[in-house]
Amino acid sequence: MNSFMHRTFAIAMLSLSATLVQAEVAVIVNPSAANAPSQAEVANIFLGKDKSLSGVDQKDWNPTKDKFYTSVANKNESQLKSYWSGLIFTGKGQPLPSVGDDTAVLAKVAAEADAIGYVDSSVVTDQVKVLFTLP
Amino acid sequence: MNKRNLLGLAVCLASTSAMALEPGDYRFNGFGTAAITHLGGAGDAKGYGIQGQTTDAWRGDQLSKLGGQLSYGVADRLSATIQTVAKAEQDQWGLEVEWAYLAYQLNNQVTLRAGRLRPGAFMFSETLDVGYAYPWLRLPDEVYSQMPVSNYEGVDALYSLPVSVGTLNFQVSYGQATDREVFIHGLDGPLDVDFKEVVTGSVSLATMNLGTLRYSYTESDLNLELFGKFKGKFESVGHQYDNGSWLTNAEAIKRQSPLGTIESFYLMAGHRFGDYLPHVTYAQWDEKGEPGRQSSWAYGLNYSLTPSVTLKGEYKRVESTRGFSGGFVPDFSVADRTFDGDIISIGADFIF
Repeated sequence: MNSFMHRTFAIAMLSLSATLVQAEVAVIVNPSAANAPSQAEVANIFLGKDKSLSGVDQKDWNPTKDKFYTSVANKNESQLKSYWSGLIFTGKGQPLPSVGDDTAVLAKVAAEADAIGYVDSSVVTDQVKVLFTLP
Repeated sequence: MNKRNLLGLAVCLASTSAMALEPGDYRFNGFGTAAITHLGGAGDAKGYGIQGQTTDAWRGDQLSKLGGQLSYGVADRLSATIQTVAKAEQDQWGLEVEWAYLAYQLNNQVTLRAGRLRPGAFMFSETLDVGYAYPWLRLPDEVYSQMPVSNYEGVDALYSLPVSVGTLNFQVSYGQATDREVFIHGLDGPLDVDFKEVVTGSVSLATMNLGTLRYSYTESDLNLELFGKFKGKFESVGHQYDNGSWLTNAEAIKRQSPLGTIESFYLMAGHRFGDYLPHVTYAQWDEKGEPGRQSSWAYGLNYSLTPSVTLKGEYKRVESTRGFSGGFVPDFSVADRTFDGDIISIGADFIF
C-alpha cells in the first residue's frame, strides 16, 4: 500500500470508530475523584451495595440506561425492578436518586465531587473524567 | 486547600444523608399477586394449603395478595415505614400490617430499626409476599411452610461491610410475637402461639460473580396452646445466583423443637430466553423418626409481560411416601395419610 492508501484507510477507520463511539456509554466521575472503581465496583454502586460514591441514575429507561445495566450488572429493566423490589419492601434500600437525561447527569457529576454517572459518550466534556466506556 | 477539604467534607455529609429519605420526603410503592391455584390428587378434599385453606377447587385466595408501602423521612437519617398486605389466611381475607418501623441510618454501613419487622429466618422470609422478587408463584412449600412466624415486634441492626470479593451483610434482631395463630395440620385448625425472645442472626456474602451465600440462625421461646412452653431453633443456609441468563436458588433448612426435627431443602434452576424464563425446582421434606418423606418437582414458565408485570405458570407434582403426612394432609386420622397430588398455579406478579 502506498502512503495515500494508508492515509485513506486510517481516516476511514477513524471515522468508523467515531460513529461507533457515538453509541458508546461512558461511565463518568468528577475530575477530583480520588479512586477509579472497576466495572464490578461500579455495578455494586448502582445496585446500592457500595456507597463509596453516590450514583446518579437516569430517570427513564432509555438506550443508554439499558446498555449500562445490561453490560455492567447483567440486568434488564424487569430484572433490575425485581432486584430493587427485594430491597424496597424489606427496608434495605431505596433506588438511587435520578435525573432526566445525559446532560443532567453530566451537570450533576461535574458539580459533585463524589458523584458517578453514565452517559452517552457523545455528550462527554472535560468537566468530567471517563472511567471506562461500554462498547 | 483548606477550602477544598471543607467542601469535600460537606459533600460527604450531604451524600450520607442523601442515601436515606430527606425529611418531609415520602415514597409509596406497591406489589401484588393475582393468581389461581388448584390442588388436586388422591382424595381432593384433604388437600390443604400452606395457610390451612381447603383447596378442593380452583382458588384465587391462596396466592393472591395486594400490598402497599409508605416510607416517610421524619428527620435527617430517620425514616418511618409502614407496609400493609391484604391476603387470605385460613379462608378469611384480612389486612395485615407486616412492617411498621422507624429506621435510623447511623452511617453508610449501619442501620438500626425498631417496630414491627420480619425475622430473616429463611432466605425469602422478608419478601414472602413480594412475588415479583422471586421466580415462583408458590414458594417451595417443603421449606416455607416451616417458617416460624412472619413478623415480630422488636429491633434489628443491619451492617454491611465491603470486602475484596464483594459485600458482607450482617443482620441481628430481637423481639417477640404474641397472640399469633398457627395452623396445625394434625389438628385441622389454628392454635394460639406466643413467640418470646425471638433472636435471629444472619450473615450473607454477596460476591461479584459467584452469587450470594447466606446463613441464618433463629431461636425462640414458644408457648403453644395445648403443647405448653418449649424452645424452637431454625437454621437456614442458602445460595442465590443470577447472571442475567442463568438463575439458581438453593436452600436447606432445619427446624428443631420438642415437637420434632424437620430438615428440608429445595434446588431451583432456570434459564432466560428473551422474556421467557423456564425453571425447575426439586424439593424434599424429612422428619426425624419418620420413615417416609415428602418430595416434589415443580416446573414453571415465567413471561415478562412488561417491566413491572410477570406472568407465571407452574405445575408441581407432590409425593409423600410410607405414611408420611407432609404438608398437605390435614388429619392423622384419615385412612390414607400420604398425599400424591398435582398443584397447578397460574397468575401474575406485579409492582407499582
